[in-house]
Amino acid sequence: MMGMNMYRADNVSVAAGGRLLVEGASLAVQPGRVTVLVGPNGAGKSTLLKAMSGEHRLSSGRVTLDGVVITHLSPLALARRRAVLPQAAEVAFPFTAGEVIAAGLMAPDGRDGARIARLLGEVDLSGFAQRRYDSLSGGERQRVQLARILAQLELTRADAPSYLFLDEPTASLDLAHQLTVLRLARAHADKGGGVLAVLHDLNLAAMVADEIVVLAQGRIRAAGPAGEVIREEVLEAAFGVRVRVGIMPPGPFVLPQNVHWAG
Amino acid sequence: MTVEHVTMAAPAEIASGRPVRAGLILFALLAGAAVIGALAIGPFTIAPGRVLTILWAALTGDAAPGVALRERIVVLDVRLPRAVVGALTGAGTAVAGAVMQGVFRNPLADPGLVGVAPGAALAAVAFVVFGAPLAMLLPAPLQALGLPLAAFAGGLGTTLVIARLAARDGRTQVATLLFAGLALGALASAGTGVMVFLASEQQTREFLFWTLGSLGGATWLKAALAAPFVLGLLVASVFLARGLDALALGEAEAFHAGVSVERLKRGAVIAVAAGVGASVAATGVVGFIGLVVPHLARLVVGPSHRVLLPASALLGVAVLLGADILARMIAAPAELPLGVVTALVGAPFFLWLLLRRRAFVG
Amino acid sequence: MSEFCAAEVQKGDTSRIVAIGGAVTEILFALGLGDRVVAVDQTSRYPAAASRKPDVGYSRALSPEGVLSIGPSLILAAEGAGPRSTLDVLEQASVPVVLIPEAHDKAGVLAKIAAVAQAVGEQEKGRVLAAEVAADFAALEDMVKALPSRPRAVFVLSASGGAAVVGGSDTSADAIFRLACVTNAMAAIKGFKPALDEAAMSAEPDAVVVMKGGGQVLDADTVFSLPAFAGTPAARERRLVTMPGSFLLGFGPRTPRAARDLAAALHPGARLPELPPRQWAAEKDQ
Repeated sequence: MMGMNMYRADNVSVAAGGRLLVEGASLAVQPGRVTVLVGPNGAGKSTLLKAMSGEHRLSSGRVTLDGVVITHLSPLALARRRAVLPQAAEVAFPFTAGEVIAAGLMAPDGRDGARIARLLGEVDLSGFAQRRYDSLSGGERQRVQLARILAQLELTRADAPSYLFLDEPTASLDLAHQLTVLRLARAHADKGGGVLAVLHDLNLAAMVADEIVVLAQGRIRAAGPAGEVIREEVLEAAFGVRVRVGIMPPGPFVLPQNVHWAG
Repeated sequence: MTVEHVTMAAPAEIASGRPVRAGLILFALLAGAAVIGALAIGPFTIAPGRVLTILWAALTGDAAPGVALRERIVVLDVRLPRAVVGALTGAGTAVAGAVMQGVFRNPLADPGLVGVAPGAALAAVAFVVFGAPLAMLLPAPLQALGLPLAAFAGGLGTTLVIARLAARDGRTQVATLLFAGLALGALASAGTGVMVFLASEQQTREFLFWTLGSLGGATWLKAALAAPFVLGLLVASVFLARGLDALALGEAEAFHAGVSVERLKRGAVIAVAAGVGASVAATGVVGFIGLVVPHLARLVVGPSHRVLLPASALLGVAVLLGADILARMIAAPAELPLGVVTALVGAPFFLWLLLRRRAFVG
Repeated sequence: MSEFCAAEVQKGDTSRIVAIGGAVTEILFALGLGDRVVAVDQTSRYPAAASRKPDVGYSRALSPEGVLSIGPSLILAAEGAGPRSTLDVLEQASVPVVLIPEAHDKAGVLAKIAAVAQAVGEQEKGRVLAAEVAADFAALEDMVKALPSRPRAVFVLSASGGAAVVGGSDTSADAIFRLACVTNAMAAIKGFKPALDEAAMSAEPDAVVVMKGGGQVLDADTVFSLPAFAGTPAARERRLVTMPGSFLLGFGPRTPRAARDLAAALHPGARLPELPPRQWAAEKDQ
């Protein structure tokens, strides 16, 4: 298909409890591009992201980074190239926000306070380094975790592109911070990295994605630029609702007022 | 053994804002004071100056002028091996507690969860009841070590069986580890009950005293046998620290951050079983150190294992030797079991911590 | 090794003795050497002067520094004292340790007296004491031989949690029963063990023997409310014999007296004579 320089899934299936959660999915995350997974609840978006991150075992197919099957890489080698933002992260002990960021860093200079302070600033949490993580709101925790994985990728090899995996990064965020997160994801891609994100909000997806991948019932139903994928018949098939896609410059958007039950 | 630890711990104030360096220095001073106290204080009164004279003479090989034989023996053959075994046990038990809490991601975890103590107890009582003829087969200098060796084998063996049971498809389920530990611990306790039933009154008392822990039987030989395992645990803890920090974020998060979670868990359980097994073998069961010391250390230096583990080691030395000074002095010339002192001090303190924490958080 | 032959030691300094074991302590006091005893263990409760000495604790968990802090010149200990590491340290510190063999019969008691006397270099006093004790044993034998019946009794060590821990065969309790011509109704059990309720009932004891001292006392209400003794002759008659533990099970010089008192208590009809008064047995137990 394409060159070696990408993070890709080939014909990946994942089963759990005797049920196929993802079936035959093929997908490439490329440097410089933001790929967004969308689809209804239970479509297998998070499962596919976890399978690609190495967290879930595959029942068939393979996931490769620059042509190397990721299970052949050590966790540390893999972590130097990709970082994963968890959906909801509990921390076991009374860490501060700064300590949470440091705890996730295996690199020897991971405790650099200046870097931690700067990254907290980038997620609008300046001065939060010494705040107790368990006293933060869900959205604040989410952004601390984002700062943590940004730090993880900053400390990795500069000579090869790194990949950012975001599992519903905007779920507990207010409007302003949703935009902050997507801006950071965009910036990562603009610097030559790859981004794979699961998003619920089709507007946000359309806004940030270079490529949108639509999943339903464990299968990829459509993939391509927003303009090709955010189309009435695609969304109706995937989500089971009839929609009207409004195309107003500069890109497509979906108004809930225009959402109706299918059939 | 703890000195290297301090230098290996990276300074971490920048990220945490906690008094990490001050805390480590405080714990090191406490540990040092406890060692000095363990050498200087005891029911046999020796002026501190003479203790120094005796130690210096032993170090240089000179004859110590004006020192009675008994003073020399009390310092060199009673207090010194006792302080060494106590320091090893204190550091080992506290670090083991902190490591297990990290593996289970729960501040209430304890090395006992993976069966070390119940397994060691079963082997110890079995040895008390049936082992005397077996000990006769050992060469004379090792005969007194029959019980410690049995306890070590029992503790380590039980843990390995539990770890084995909890591994499925090459993955160790922490919940299964916990349940297997509970089940095998209960089984070992039942076996212990059978042994106690078979035992004579005196054997039962001997076993009971063993379960209460004591540094009373500390010898250089025991110190030498326990040291490699406890030092092994302390060295391993340096390498486990980063992984345990990441594990605090969650198992999947630790993997994503680059930790070989499976290797980390297995390594931690084995290092803990060997270190605690050796400690229990040397001193019997000394409760509450593994639970309370990491908790206390965490309050001061924070939960990051890179500083928590060395802090726990130092504080463990201080608390265990401090408790032993109490055990030796309170009922002198008799000796209170050490486990009684640590539980008497540790349990109420732990309750206070819990209630205080609830008042703050809840 | 610490089991020095007594002969080697007798020339040594016996001015400051640590006595470990109730019988050893009693013998030392009976020999008139109480003022040389500088510390005792927790089982040494007779005479009262002994229990006022510093206590080095449990004989199997002796603290080396604790014992040394007394400044002893000799340790006289009943067999089983330890641990080994403590004995080793004492030996290194040139404190002789003499272990006195434990035994639960007449010959054993006399041997203990001889061993203690020899260890402290007072063989002559030892012979006098041994002769007195031997005479007491002889008198005891004469009086129990004449008893018309052999009652059945159970020794109850403790009864926590509603289960009676009884003295079976091969125990000091069994031995004192033997001396008093009492049948141990629990001889089928070996050692001190919790007795099955049904086994205790079918043993049909005429009486229950318990000890007092060390803070524990089992009273008749507690003992006879145990299911183990429901319906037994002992419970019907409420026959409970309570004797001081160190007196009943100590196997020191006063053992013939303990056996006589036990026999007298279990044969209420028979009028047993008192044994001749001895100076070393004059004190009442607490």
